[in-house]
Amino acid sequence: MSQFLQFLFIGLGNGAVYAMIGMGLVAIYRATGLLNFAQGEMAMFATFFVWTLDDVGLPLWLAVIGGMVGGGVVGALTYQVVVRPVGDPHQKPLAVVIVTVGLFLAFNALAQLIWGTDQRPLDPLFGTGELQLGSTYIAWQKLGALAVLGIEAALFYVLFMKTKLGLSMRAVASNPESSGLCGVPVSRILLFGWALASAVGAVAGAFMAPNSAVDANLMQVPLIFAFAAITLGGFDSFVGAVVGGLAIGVLTDVVPKYVGFVEKMPTAPAFLAILVVLLIRPQGLFGSTRVVRV
Amino acid sequence: MSTTAAPGVPARLLRAAPWVALVVVLVVLPQVLQPYWVNRVTGWIPLAIAALGLNLLTGYNGQISVGHGALYGLGAYATALVVNEWDWPFLAAIAVGAVVCFGAGVVIGLPALRIKGLYLALVTLAVATLFPQLVEQFSDTTGGTTGLAVTSLQEYRGRMRERSVKFEPPEWTGLAADQWRYYLFLALAAVCFVIVANIVSSRVGRSLVAIRDNEVAAEVSGVNVAATKVFTFGISAALAGVGGGLLALYNARVSSGSFTLAVSLYFLVAVVLGGPATTLGPALGAVLYGLFKDVVEAEVLPEAWKPASPLLLGALLVVTVLVAPGGIVGTTRQVRARFTARRLRGTTPP
Amino acid sequence: MALLEVQGLTAGYGIVDVLFGLDFSVDAGEAVVILGANGSGKTTTLRALSGMIPAGGSARLDGTPVLGTRPDRLLRAGVAHVPQGRGTIVDLTVEENLRIGGSTRRDDLAGDIERWFEVFPRLGERRTQRAGSMSGGEQQMLAIARAFMSRPRLVLLDEPSLGLAPLVTAEVFGQVGALVRETGTAVLLVEQNANLALDFASRGYVLEAGRIVVSGTADELRGDEAIRKAYLGA
Repeated sequence: MSQFLQFLFIGLGNGAVYAMIGMGLVAIYRATGLLNFAQGEMAMFATFFVWTLDDVGLPLWLAVIGGMVGGGVVGALTYQVVVRPVGDPHQKPLAVVIVTVGLFLAFNALAQLIWGTDQRPLDPLFGTGELQLGSTYIAWQKLGALAVLGIEAALFYVLFMKTKLGLSMRAVASNPESSGLCGVPVSRILLFGWALASAVGAVAGAFMAPNSAVDANLMQVPLIFAFAAITLGGFDSFVGAVVGGLAIGVLTDVVPKYVGFVEKMPTAPAFLAILVVLLIRPQGLFGSTRVVRV
Repeated sequence: MSTTAAPGVPARLLRAAPWVALVVVLVVLPQVLQPYWVNRVTGWIPLAIAALGLNLLTGYNGQISVGHGALYGLGAYATALVVNEWDWPFLAAIAVGAVVCFGAGVVIGLPALRIKGLYLALVTLAVATLFPQLVEQFSDTTGGTTGLAVTSLQEYRGRMRERSVKFEPPEWTGLAADQWRYYLFLALAAVCFVIVANIVSSRVGRSLVAIRDNEVAAEVSGVNVAATKVFTFGISAALAGVGGGLLALYNARVSSGSFTLAVSLYFLVAVVLGGPATTLGPALGAVLYGLFKDVVEAEVLPEAWKPASPLLLGALLVVTVLVAPGGIVGTTRQVRARFTARRLRGTTPP
Repeated sequence: MALLEVQGLTAGYGIVDVLFGLDFSVDAGEAVVILGANGSGKTTTLRALSGMIPAGGSARLDGTPVLGTRPDRLLRAGVAHVPQGRGTIVDLTVEENLRIGGSTRRDDLAGDIERWFEVFPRLGERRTQRAGSMSGGEQQMLAIARAFMSRPRLVLLDEPSLGLAPLVTAEVFGQVGALVRETGTAVLLVEQNANLALDFASRGYVLEAGRIVVSGTADELRGDEAIRKAYLGA
């Protein structure tokens, strides 16, 4: 039992990271209507900013903030230069896929060019200690990830529901034309959405990296988990991203331990989740049914 | 009434000229290049065939797949296992791979009827990421990350031994091994391209495009949309499988590292840069990718700058979509048409 | 000088030209209607003025050229556009829609919002309701109130009667008429429904196939034989 609890918390801790990436994906989906297949690579890029600042000597938490800012700038630039000229994703899905694939390859290669192919270690924000509950040991880092996710979710809630900027973002997500007619600077709002998504990616990377290292492959598998999270939760729901992320995290870490058949295939539960949800209930748990129209 | 560049030269001959030149270049290539380079170019052919398959599905039929690398890998492993376990001749082994992949394509194509556009891309992306893990899971059969050598029984120093597969040129051809292999691969590729060209110009091909442009209208005008889409997925997958089988024989090895997500992405690169929904596009795209990988990255760039190659490809991809969505072939056609129109206007009597 | 002075307005979609050189004007505090049948180019006119599509010719607001200005900039200059089909932001609540309408203002919006709930009590009842769940007439009133939230000098109103039952349309026109008289805002209305429009506006133009064919006061237009036959059912 205590082993199950341990797996559970590892799953929840990892799931928190998928939820963080997922919230970035939802932000972009709501703003510009597309699935950003390059989200993981952009988050990885922002994580390299974190590493660089940490390497230079900044305290880790400050490096994370710096990485968020850097990531935000990269996200904004990407929107302005590449995404904005493409047009409506629902009318040209292939163009959007190709562009995000191109960004995937470009960011991956650019990271290797700038920082090389060595693996760069990153310390865990919450240290390597563990909390002991009876015979169960839970890493503080995993609990920290959950706490940070909670804070992020709360901040998102406040931003979107209680601020004028958030109101403008929701307006643009729902009806960009009318919002423009009401004086909302639409493309500046979309720009901010992309900046926000990449900034959040830096935080996700800061939690992902200590498990392995900061390198160009950091986010390739987590990206699928994040997509599974938002498919399950609903493409346009932040609550869905949180719930979905935690669920996928648990499924991915717990299931392979008990089902030998998928022991070496961590992506399998995520893939099944994506397939089943899209076939049976495309709007996921918390998404709106308008998501379904293609 | 024909448009002639020079008086007395019939238009038909002029249109055929580039094709003739292409065939000449392809045939003469191995006679002219060093064996090292012949081998490199031979290695581009499996990619060209897989890109041909992807183009049929995504370019002509509008179903977006970011997972063709998995089908490529499936074909490769199927062919490798058939050669290893049953000692079948190469063509038969590739055929088995193609059939297996056709089946897989149909299996994916069925749920794809209900999942479209960006969401289908997402599902195929997940498949592409899953494939190397599948290989790991069944590493007893597949050899996991270490991989499998593809071997056949060959006579070596007087005894029959299991050795890496080779392509032995028959005596009467007078060709070297690398040239013989090149011509075999080229012949198979030519067959595939001709088959696809025929599909595309037939009624089936028109219904493929009709479905891409407006599924509802196609259905209304009598096209069996579901059957066509699933069948296209199957054929597309089979072609990827043929490519994979050739790759397995070319490398004489299969391992999970050859079939990661990047492979699926590079297929898309070849299709888009070459020219979606064109016959020659995938081949050109494969050549372009091959040039980047084997010339720019391997020979030209210093070690620290090697990632500049995929960076350039990624950037090219983005620029192509924004500026020249027809790829090389499509844009060339547009430019030529505009040029012809301008010339015609210039020669119109006042 | 007129508040809005338009000369030689041309516009189209791609290679298709829709407007072939329109001349019209709106004075401060005036309500002007552009009548026309389907396809005559009424909506295109407003979209051209609003900067939503590229246009040629000239349009001056208080003497300042404004043609080609982006919609959000035009709003800051004092021109609000209520688009065809109302354009309510369906996922936001009624109150949130009003807030967005006032998004260019820096002062507190609460006072204005309460005032609009008094003018349109039905909106007040539904203030926290999702805008998309309301009836067409209620959404039309919301769209109009939203436009007025920015305290514009000129409101462009695109076919408010579209898709609404006659009684509801009459009510909407009544409310808007009262608003206009009270606030002194100028209105440029495009409509198919000439009866209501000519009661509401003081001057009008008739648009046919992208050209203005008749202009005059509301009384003159109502009295015109040809217009009566074409637009008022004689």
